[in-house]
Amino acid sequence: MSNETNKLTKKDIRKVYIRNLFGLQLGWNYEKMQGLGYAYVIMPALKKLYTTKEEMTKALKLQLGFFNTTPAMSHLIVGADMALEEEFGMSDPTAIAGLKTGLMGPFAGVGDTLFVAIYRAIIFSIASYMALSGQVIGLIIPIIACLAVLWVRYKFTYLGYVQGRKLATEFAGQMKAFTEGASILGLTVVGALIPSVINFTLPLEYKMGEVTLSVQDMLDKILPGLLPLGIVLFSYWLLGKKKMNSTRLIFVLIALGMVLGNLQNIFSFIASLF
Amino acid sequence: MSISIVAIIILTLYVGIGQLDAISIQMGPYTPLFGGTITGLVLGDLQTGLIVGGTLQLMTLGVATFGGATVPDFLSGSVMGAAFAILSGKGPEYGIGLAVPIGLLLTQLDIVGRMTNTFFQHMADKAAEKGDYKGVERANLLGALPWMLTRMIPVFIGLTFGDHVVNAINAFIPEWVMVGLKTAGAILPAMGIAILMRYLPLKKYFPFYIIGFVLMAFGGANFSLLGAALVGLAFAGIYLLTKREAGAGSAATSNQSSTVYVDDEEVEIDE
Repeated sequence: MSNETNKLTKKDIRKVYIRNLFGLQLGWNYEKMQGLGYAYVIMPALKKLYTTKEEMTKALKLQLGFFNTTPAMSHLIVGADMALEEEFGMSDPTAIAGLKTGLMGPFAGVGDTLFVAIYRAIIFSIASYMALSGQVIGLIIPIIACLAVLWVRYKFTYLGYVQGRKLATEFAGQMKAFTEGASILGLTVVGALIPSVINFTLPLEYKMGEVTLSVQDMLDKILPGLLPLGIVLFSYWLLGKKKMNSTRLIFVLIALGMVLGNLQNIFSFIASLF
Repeated sequence: MSISIVAIIILTLYVGIGQLDAISIQMGPYTPLFGGTITGLVLGDLQTGLIVGGTLQLMTLGVATFGGATVPDFLSGSVMGAAFAILSGKGPEYGIGLAVPIGLLLTQLDIVGRMTNTFFQHMADKAAEKGDYKGVERANLLGALPWMLTRMIPVFIGLTFGDHVVNAINAFIPEWVMVGLKTAGAILPAMGIAILMRYLPLKKYFPFYIIGFVLMAFGGANFSLLGAALVGLAFAGIYLLTKREAGAGSAATSNQSSTVYVDDEEVEIDE
């Protein structure tokens, strides 16, 4: 049981926030994943709330359990956890374990889409695009975006703390609309990315007497960026196959590059056979 | 051109910090984009670094560690790839071609690092039995070492010895392989894009994907990715607006039209 004097202050919550940013994944391991990190993150709160050795042992054992979610979303769970423990202490550890394991899955689902997939699609594609055109200034974009995310994560810690257990259902609804909007933005950028970053032109020429036809010119008349689009859709299709993963796809694309790059040689080799 | 010991030390420290960034706030140093650029900066050829980093970044846009999955170590790959490209003077495509196999090879070390950390988890479990919270904290902090060392050691070794080894290997590689690797470097960003398409709800929102593609395919030099992003942002806004109004019901719509009427009348009176 917590006693009245052991209340968490703003300073405690801020300490937990900082640890959450930098310490959650330091001890990541295959056994408990972020479990070790979670115990480290929430430690300032534990120190404040549990003064006896008995309580501390109980709390440490609980918090070292299996945990894994998107780091940006973990703040909500840690915040809610702090509020619960402040209220009930270690009288009901199953409630805390339930909160942690119950929320980490759904939050990872939303968080991985929003804070990892869409975030990277937008921020890093623009930054890389600028890098390819020789502009170092593009590297500032991820840094600024990161500062914005840090602010969001700060708010998440408080949101979790204030809302406690209620947040799970309400928050998911608000997140949905935001995710939809972000998906549209993300997909527009991804579509635009294809012709701008896959700089591949077919090194193939077709000689008929005096006339030399460039195959690339003919393709451009149909649709500029047709080949890059084709390669992307081919990769997309391959990734849907059961035994395909990104590492295998790299080998497929390297093989494809070997063939496409040497197409002229291959054709002249075949021609020389006849 | 050979690499100085100072440059090796700076780049080794950099990948260590970059890896810490990867498992904490993800500000940027953990990405191949920064890896290539920083390497270019340290070795005095920023352009090559930018191109190696930018290309690798696009290739790996969708490659993220979801749920603790191991992905190729393209940060170390980008540092070594950019370094070898600059040192050999063979151009950025050469560096990209090297970075990919290096990144793939180092995948194994990520697994070793994550396995080593299980030791610290056990250390913390033992400390917890005794209520020793300081022991738990120490165990988590020590977990940073496997993360950093699995990146710093290969980069240090690679940069120290790789120079000669890479040159020796190059002498044996036939021309067509080099051409093939260069082409592969050009089309590999397709992978990053394809993975993103798998994660994003493409089937539901495919029209926006087509719009984005057409804008850049035909707009070409007159359009920029930032411009396409703004168009996407506008569409997202329109979509959410329309959805909210549809959600408010048809009653709201009829109310609105009458309000507009009133406004019109007021304007007429003023005139």
